[in-house]
Amino acid sequence: MRAYRALLRKDLLLELRGRELVPAMLAFVLGALMLVRFGLGGETLAGGTRAATGLLWVVVVFTSMLALVRSFAPEREHGIWDGLLAAPIDRAAIWAARATATLLFLVITQLVALPLFWLFFLQEGRSPSLPVLAAALLLADLGVAMLGALLAGMASQVQAREVLLPVLFLPFSLPLVTVAVRVTVDTISLQPSGLSAVQGLGFLALYDTIFGLLGWALFEYVVEE
Amino acid sequence: MNGSRRARPDGATVAATAAALLMSLALAMIFFWVPTDIDQGYSQRIFYFHVPIALTTYTLFGWGAINAARYLWKREPSLDLKSYVPMHLGVIFGSLTLVTGSIWANISWGHWWFWGDTQLTTFLIIFLFYCAYFMLRFSVEPGERRASYSAVYALLGVGLIPLSVIGVRVAQRNELIHPITFNSNGANMDTSMFLTFLVALAAMLALAVTMYLVELRGKRIDERVRLIRRLAEEGAA
Repeated sequence: MRAYRALLRKDLLLELRGRELVPAMLAFVLGALMLVRFGLGGETLAGGTRAATGLLWVVVVFTSMLALVRSFAPEREHGIWDGLLAAPIDRAAIWAARATATLLFLVITQLVALPLFWLFFLQEGRSPSLPVLAAALLLADLGVAMLGALLAGMASQVQAREVLLPVLFLPFSLPLVTVAVRVTVDTISLQPSGLSAVQGLGFLALYDTIFGLLGWALFEYVVEE
Repeated sequence: MNGSRRARPDGATVAATAAALLMSLALAMIFFWVPTDIDQGYSQRIFYFHVPIALTTYTLFGWGAINAARYLWKREPSLDLKSYVPMHLGVIFGSLTLVTGSIWANISWGHWWFWGDTQLTTFLIIFLFYCAYFMLRFSVEPGERRASYSAVYALLGVGLIPLSVIGVRVAQRNELIHPITFNSNGANMDTSMFLTFLVALAAMLALAVTMYLVELRGKRIDERVRLIRRLAEEGAA
């Protein structure tokens, strides 16, 4: 637990001092939402459609990719890996700290992205049901962060890492997005999805549990000397 | 010299013989024996190819995942090959599943692809995952790291498959149009059709076992040749 706290502090301090990731993610979210808005030829999606919800989740996934691609970059670029691996700590602590840091970065980004999304696409629609939307985003972010930390650990030690990580991650995002879109449709749009919020959130929690356990158990095989 | 003693046939020869016999029997039953389906007509015969190929694909992926777990447990390099080869064959059989499924879908539903169908969508997610497996494997230099990464990713697939099935089913319920051939009451078809299906499945599995053994042997020979070449180069130096 001490190792986890120290590593998390290190990750957060690096971001606080370097400001590499979060500003880039915020700029990416703004750019992606504007791109979607203009890409639709200025057509408003107000009134709420399934497409509007889908667009939100596509932007969430691609923003996550940005965070994951830079995961473990300081370890790689500054030769921190050797020190981490030589330290007498549980390897799972490295994974847990990285997953927590990624989760925090994603939450910060979405705190900005959600109001922007409402402003760009939903002003004329109904007000979103915030508790369900927030719970879905939080659960999805947790799953992305835990699985992403494992995959990023692998990709960080491969030559074509920037290309490889999205390829490795996208198949896993498909069931997540499929359910997340359905569970958030009712919170934003006027077209009911027919899926209860509890069922949808339950699936997202199951996703987190499975990939949390797999990430925790398998990370030590990813960072062998 | 033991010219009088006949060499025992190896596993690949036995499997190839069984595959050839079963495949001939299956083809004869499919085209000359089994009755034509009342609803779908002659085109329903693609069922005897499509479903066995799909089940063989799942079997190959399952076998690959088991060997991946065994590799992480025992660290024997041969288990890495035994995990990789079924994945490779699984992608080939998976491609055939998608092709035969699309042909059947076009004949039955009038569309090459139908996103509302749970089984089609799930299979595509799983197929995409195994394509990514190869991207990962060939991005890492051969050796222990490549074997570990491949095994870890293959095991992540064990988590992804049930989640894809549940997720797609939860999100797309009420849109199921894929025919339900097997349910809790057993096979939903005529006895002769079921028998033909079983023979076709056995033939496809025998073919997969043959391909597995042949590819495994090829990969092992390839490894030995590389080793001999490396030793020869070192000796020359």
